[in-house]
Amino acid sequence: MRISVDHARCEGHGLCAGQAPDVFDLDDDAQVVYLFEGGTVPPEHLAAARAAVNVCPVAALRELQH
Amino acid sequence: MPRHPDVPAYVPDIYSAQSILDPYPHYAELRQLGPVVWLPKHGVYALPRYAECKAVLLDDKTFTSGEGVGLNPVTNRLSRGTTLNSDGEDHAGRRALVAHRLTPRALRTMTEAVERQAAEIVDAALARRDVDGVDIAEALPTAVVPDLVGWPQEHRKNLLSWGAATFDVLGPLNGRAAAATLRGLGVMRFARGVVRRRSVLPGSMGDDLLGAADEGRIARSECPALMIDYLVPSLDTTLSAIASALHLFATHPGQWQLLKDDPGLIPNAVNEVVRYESPLRAFSRKVAKDTEVAGTALRAGSRVLVLYASANRDALEWEDPDTFDIRRDASRQLGFGRGTHGCAGQGLARLEIQSMLRALVARVEKIVPTGEPEWGLNNIIRRLQRLPLELVPA
Repeated sequence: MRISVDHARCEGHGLCAGQAPDVFDLDDDAQVVYLFEGGTVPPEHLAAARAAVNVCPVAALRELQH
Repeated sequence: MPRHPDVPAYVPDIYSAQSILDPYPHYAELRQLGPVVWLPKHGVYALPRYAECKAVLLDDKTFTSGEGVGLNPVTNRLSRGTTLNSDGEDHAGRRALVAHRLTPRALRTMTEAVERQAAEIVDAALARRDVDGVDIAEALPTAVVPDLVGWPQEHRKNLLSWGAATFDVLGPLNGRAAAATLRGLGVMRFARGVVRRRSVLPGSMGDDLLGAADEGRIARSECPALMIDYLVPSLDTTLSAIASALHLFATHPGQWQLLKDDPGLIPNAVNEVVRYESPLRAFSRKVAKDTEVAGTALRAGSRVLVLYASANRDALEWEDPDTFDIRRDASRQLGFGRGTHGCAGQGLARLEIQSMLRALVARVEKIVPTGEPEWGLNNIIRRLQRLPLELVPA
């Protein structure tokens, strides 16, 4: 699973980091940091990552199909 | 707009006084009828289930807000120019004006002050012991929001009544919407005066807004509507959630004990309160081009009603949806909307509600109901207007 992050949309609500702290973090400017940038989410974090994509209040996270 | 022949219809008025006071049986019937249900009384397609509500909110190109999110053409025309009622770049530009104020980072500087105010509110309530939970719920939003928005001191006592009116007129053109029209115009007149006299508080969101107008980033004529746009959705909604939390924990003492035993549940408890008693019951979207929802063809120009409060009780999405349980993961609830129009102030709302729960958990042993709660009548907002409680100190 890969995830795209739309930084223009992100407003730093931080709910993704709450759901999946091993996949997302917020930097000092409250912008989302995707900890597997450019790569795929390891299997052990898949469920949390999907939950995080699901709760983003501004739909800035998207699961890519391949 | 005539109804599609294959779509089930639901005749009862979901905006009657009786329906507003007890909406959930109606929503259950709508969900039972199907994913898309025609409401002949209002000429809209209701979306009562979670999956379709979410899909429509995420597809803001097909399901637009620019021609209004209310249920009557008058308000939908009058409220053009707000963030609520705009699409695409207009909307993104207006939203960007305020979003930076509402990020978790910006809110961090407010956290301590909000938590201190919450503690003071709970201490004062405990000193009275017998209280109206609505007064407690009102105290924090009305202390925090007007200063943040920069609304001048005058007329602050009118803000709640103006806010309720501004929501009422977003419903269908019923008696409540008609009665609220004059008060709605009153808030608009006052907001125009605030912009003309520049009487916003320095350093506030309103101050930013006028600065953006000075620099030509937005038209000055947009400012009054945007001032209302910042203020109104930030009061009644948060108040509703705090009052519902008090009511739910008073009537579910086992859940209150869980929260006391593990205050780490507080952030999720906020989601569960908003899921269970969604402060905004529904807004609409206009269908911009011929499309399909759950196999039902919808013509361009028709209107869909996104029933957040029903989606949040949909058994296809939630196990045992009519049970209040702060241990379930309620983070995907739709009470704050979702996508480009998702509530911009939800970080602040969460901060306020969580601060109140933290202050209560630390100081209150039990919340005991002492009389029948009364729900208010509003076309959009679900909120208590009277909640007799006894707070037993820890």
